[in-house]
Amino acid sequence: MIGEDLEGRTHDLLQRAAQAYRGHPRLRLALERFAGPLRLAVAGAARTGKSTLVNALVGEDVAPVEQAGFVTYRDGTELRAWSHPEHGRPYEVPVARTAHGLRLDSAAPRAVVQWPSRVLRKTELIDTGSSAPAGQVLTEADAVLWLTPRIGEPDLDFLRAGRGLRGPSVSPVHAMVVLTKADMHGDGLPDGLLEARRIARRRRKEPAIGALCQDVVAVSPLIGHAARTLRDDEVRALSAIAALPRTESDPFLLSTDRFTAAGALPVVDARARLELLQRFGLGGIRLALALLRTGSATTSALGERLQDYSGLKDLQATVAELFVARRPALKARSALIVLDHLLRTERLPPSGHLLAELELLLAGAHDFAEMRLLSALRSGRVTVPADKAKEAVRLLGGAGTSLGERLGLPTEATVDDIWAVAEDCAERWRREAGSGERTPAQRRAAAVVLRSCEAMLAGDESMQ
Amino acid sequence: MTSWEAGTTAQTGPASLIPHPRQAPDPLRGAAVSADPWWMDTMDAVIRTCQAHGRADLAERLARRRARLLHPQLRVLVTGPPQQGRSRLINALVNASVCGVLPDTEAGVPTVVRHADTPVAHLIRRDTPDADWTAAVGLQSRIPLVAERLGASLAEAAATLPAGAPAHVDIGVPRSLLAGGLVLIDAPALSVAAAAPDLADRAGADLVVWTCETGRQLADDELAVLSALSQSFPGLLVVLTKADYAADWRRDLAESRLRLNRAGIPAAVAAVSSSLRLHAVRTGDDALNRESGFADLLVHLRKMVEAKPDRLARATAGALTRIVLQELAVPLRAELDNQGDGGSSDAAAHLQATHRRLDDLRKCTVRWQNRLSDEVGDLMSDIEHDLRERVKALLAEADEFFTENDPAKSWDEFEPWLRDSLQEMATTSMTWLAERTEWMARRTADMFPPEAGDVLPPTALAVTDGGVLQGVSALDAPPVATFTPGQKLFIGLRGSYGGVVMFGLATSLAGMSLINPISIGGGALFGGKSVRDESKTLLKRRQTEARNAVRQHVDDIFTKLNKDARDSVRRAQRALRDHFTAVTEDLQEETMESLRNAKAAADRDAAVREAHGRRLREELTRLAELHTQAQALTDRARA
Repeated sequence: MIGEDLEGRTHDLLQRAAQAYRGHPRLRLALERFAGPLRLAVAGAARTGKSTLVNALVGEDVAPVEQAGFVTYRDGTELRAWSHPEHGRPYEVPVARTAHGLRLDSAAPRAVVQWPSRVLRKTELIDTGSSAPAGQVLTEADAVLWLTPRIGEPDLDFLRAGRGLRGPSVSPVHAMVVLTKADMHGDGLPDGLLEARRIARRRRKEPAIGALCQDVVAVSPLIGHAARTLRDDEVRALSAIAALPRTESDPFLLSTDRFTAAGALPVVDARARLELLQRFGLGGIRLALALLRTGSATTSALGERLQDYSGLKDLQATVAELFVARRPALKARSALIVLDHLLRTERLPPSGHLLAELELLLAGAHDFAEMRLLSALRSGRVTVPADKAKEAVRLLGGAGTSLGERLGLPTEATVDDIWAVAEDCAERWRREAGSGERTPAQRRAAAVVLRSCEAMLAGDESMQ
Repeated sequence: MTSWEAGTTAQTGPASLIPHPRQAPDPLRGAAVSADPWWMDTMDAVIRTCQAHGRADLAERLARRRARLLHPQLRVLVTGPPQQGRSRLINALVNASVCGVLPDTEAGVPTVVRHADTPVAHLIRRDTPDADWTAAVGLQSRIPLVAERLGASLAEAAATLPAGAPAHVDIGVPRSLLAGGLVLIDAPALSVAAAAPDLADRAGADLVVWTCETGRQLADDELAVLSALSQSFPGLLVVLTKADYAADWRRDLAESRLRLNRAGIPAAVAAVSSSLRLHAVRTGDDALNRESGFADLLVHLRKMVEAKPDRLARATAGALTRIVLQELAVPLRAELDNQGDGGSSDAAAHLQATHRRLDDLRKCTVRWQNRLSDEVGDLMSDIEHDLRERVKALLAEADEFFTENDPAKSWDEFEPWLRDSLQEMATTSMTWLAERTEWMARRTADMFPPEAGDVLPPTALAVTDGGVLQGVSALDAPPVATFTPGQKLFIGLRGSYGGVVMFGLATSLAGMSLINPISIGGGALFGGKSVRDESKTLLKRRQTEARNAVRQHVDDIFTKLNKDARDSVRRAQRALRDHFTAVTEDLQEETMESLRNAKAAADRDAAVREAHGRRLREELTRLAELHTQAQALTDRARA
C-alpha cells in the first residue's frame, strides 16, 4: 500500500470516524486539512531566521514587518490577510506591502496571509513565531523545518516531542533540521558555508539525530533570501566594488563597521552599502564579490550561484524530495495522529473497531518505512554499494513516487513491461535481502526495498 | 571601532569597570597595603565559624579560595556555550594558536595558557574529575607536548589517555601580557550551562569571562548561570564575540547590558572581534587593533591583575563570605522559626494532657455520684414494686384456694404451700436485688474515665440471702368454729319444731291430730334444712377467717421483706459510695502527682528552649556582624 492507496484508505477511515463521532470538530478540521495542501511549519527559537527563511522559500518579502506570532501563508489570487483571534471568528484585516515586508494590522496571535505564489500552491508555509510550544507546532503542521544555529539539547527536545512511542507518530518522517546562520562559520568567509555543510553532513549521520529527523541541512537564510530577490542595482553596486583591486576593497570588508563607515569604498554611496549589508550580511557580500570576480556577471547567474552557495537550493530540493513528493503520506500521518488520539481519549462504542482498523492501516502503510530508509540512505546512516543505492532510492520513490518513475520506465510502458521489470527488481532485491555477504542493516534495508517492489507488483496486479 | 563600552558593575546604575582617571589619589594603590589583612581576617573568622558549625565542606572551599587569592597569578576562565568564539578569543589575546587546535573540539581538552620564557606545553592528567587544576601532579601525569606542532602532538598524547579521563593542556608562551601573572583558561564547551560555577571553582579561576556571539540574545538559562557566577566571582565579564560580523552589534551590546541589568547581575559587557585582532596583529595595523576592542580588553585584564591582591581580593572575599554566611544562617533561622511558631515540645503537651485528665476526673466525681443516687432510687422503687406484685399474685392464689376448699379440712395442705411460696418469693427478690446491685456498681464504674482502669469493687456486695423468713413464725390455722353433733341436734330440733307445727296445724284441719306422721315428716324436713344451712354458714365464716389470717400473715412478711431489701440496698449504696470515693481519691492523687511532674518537666524544657533560642539568636547576630564586615569589604572594593 503506497501513496494514493494510503491516502484513500485514510480518507475512508476518517469519514467513517466522522460519522461515528457525528462530525466531531477535530475530525472535521482533520478532514478539511486532509484535502488541503501540505502544511510546512518553519519553527525555531527567537532570531534563528524563520521569517527570512520563509521569505527566501517564497522568493518574495511576505513576512510581516512585525511578527504577529503564528502566521500561515497560503496561495490565492490576491494579497489578503485574516486575523484569527483566540476566541471568535476570524476576520479580514487590511494589509499593505512595504519595502521590508507586509504591514499587517493584526493584534491577534495568529494570522493567515494569502499571497499569490506558485511556491505556496501545493505547500502552505507556517511561520510559528518563537514562542509557540512544540505541541502546537506539531499539531498545526504536517511537516516541520526546525531552525537552529547548532543542534543542542533544546532542539533534540523539540524533535523528541514530535516522535511518539506508538501509532502513527512513531516514524519521525515529518521533521528536518535546518542549521541556519551557515554564513557565520569560518569567520564569515566564503569557505564558512562549505564548513557549515560539512557539519550538517556530519550531524545527520549521528544516530541520535538521525533517529529523530529526516535530514540536517545547512542554510544561510539571509544570503538565500537576498539571492532569490536579487536586484540589478545591487548587482551593479557589488560589481563596482568587485571591480576595485583587492588591496583597495579588502580592508573595508574586514568588519561591518568598516564597510558602512563614511568615506569607505567611494564607488558605492554609504546608504546603498548599509542596505547591502542588511540584505546580504558581511558574509554574503564577501561571497557575492568572490563570485563576481570569478565571472558571474549577470544578475541571474549571480543569483543562481548565490542560492547554490547559501544552501537554499539544497534545502528546496530536500524539501521537495522528502516532504512535497510525500504529501499523501505526510497528510495521512497527521490525520491519523488526530484520529488515533481522538479514538483513545473519547471512547464511543465504535471506537474499538475503528482503532483496530487504524492499526491495520498502519501495519500495511509502507510509506513511512520507505521515507525513513530514503533518509538513512541520503545521510549515509545505511551504506549500500553505489549502483545498488541509486536503484534503491529510485524504487523507494526518491526520484518520483509514480510507478514509472520508481521503475525507471518511460510513460508509454505497457502493463506487461511494468510487470516484467517490477518482478525482475523484486527478484534481485529478494536475493539481496537474503545475501550473507551483506551486513544486517543492509539486509534490513533490502527488505524494505523488496517490499516496495512487491507493493508495486500487487498494485499492478489489481490494475490488470 | 570603539567596541569597548564599559558595562555596569552594579544594578544601581552604570559605572565604569575602568576607574575614572580623575580619581586621585588612585584608590587601588592607596589602599593596597593597608587593606590586605582586613579581608583575610574576615575570611579567617568565617572559616572558623564554618568549622564551629560543622560545615567542613564550606570551610575547605573558603580556605582554597583564600589560598588562591593570595597567589600572585590571576586566573581568568573563559567559558560559555559551544561555538561562541571562546578559543579564538584566547588565541587573539595572546596572538598564538594555542587553543582549539584539535579539530571538532566539541568535547575538547581545556587549555591553560600562562607565561613562560620559552614555549612549552604539557598535557596534564588529573586524578579525578573533581581534582583541583592547580594542584601539583606527578611526573607520570605530565605528558610533554611539542609546542611547535601542538595539534598533532596533542592528538597523539590525548589518544594515549583513556576515554573521558580528566586532563587539561598546560601551555606556556612568552608574552608580556602574561608575564604580569595573567593565566588564561579555555574551558571546554559547556553543553549544560549550569555546570559553569563548579567548573570555575575547580579550575581555580579568579575571574570569569563569559563568551556569547553577537546576533544572539543571552538565553534565560545563561542568565541564571551568570547570576550564580557573579555571586562568587566578582568582576564577571561578558564578552560578545564576532562583533566584526554582526551588522548591529551595538544594539546587541545594549540589549545584553539591559538584560543583565534587569536580572540584577553585576557584570561588565564588552564586544570584541577576534578576527579583526588577529588580522591587525598579522598586519601590524594599530587602528584595526583598536577597532577590534581588544586593546580595551587588555587594559581591563591588566587592571584586574593589578587589582587582584587588593580590590579583587577584597571583593571576592566579601562575596564569598557573604554567600557562606547566608548558607550558614539558613538552618539557624529555620530552627528559630520552628521554635517561634508554637512548635510545642513533648513536655508542654504532656502537661496539657495531665491538666485535661484532672479536669476529667473532677467532672467524673460529680457524674458517678449522681449516677449512684439515681440508680439507688430506681432500685428501691423497683424492688418494692416487684415485691408488691408478687404478694398480690400470691394472695390471689390463696383466695382462690379458699373459695373452693374448707380451711378446716385442707389447712394442712395449704400451710406448707404458702410457706414454700413465700420462701421462693423472698429468694427470687433477693437474687434479683443482688444482680441489680452488681449492675448498678458497673453502671457507676462506667462513669470513670477509661484510663482509670478497673474500678469495680473487688468482691460481690453482701446482700441478704434467702433466709429472710427465718425469724417469721409459721402461720397457725385460724380458729375454726366447729359444728359438733349436739349443736347439729339442737339446730335440727329447732328447725323441725316449726315444720311439725306448720304441718300439724294443716293436717288438724283435716281432722288429724297435731302430731301425725305428716307433721312429723314435715318437721324432719325442716330440721334437716336448718342443719344444712347452719353448716354452710359456718364454712363461709371459716373461709373468710382463713383468708384474713393469710392476708395478715403475708402482709407481715411483705413488710419485713421490703424493709430488708431497702436495708440491703442502702448498705450496698453505702459500700459502693465508699469504694468509689476511695478510687476517686486515689486517682486524683495520682493525677496531681503526674501534674506536678509534668509541670516541672515543662518548666525545665521551656528553660532549655529559651536558652537554645538565645544561643541561636546570638549566633545569628554574630553571623550578621560578619556579614556586615563582608559587605564593607565589597563596598570598599567598589569604591
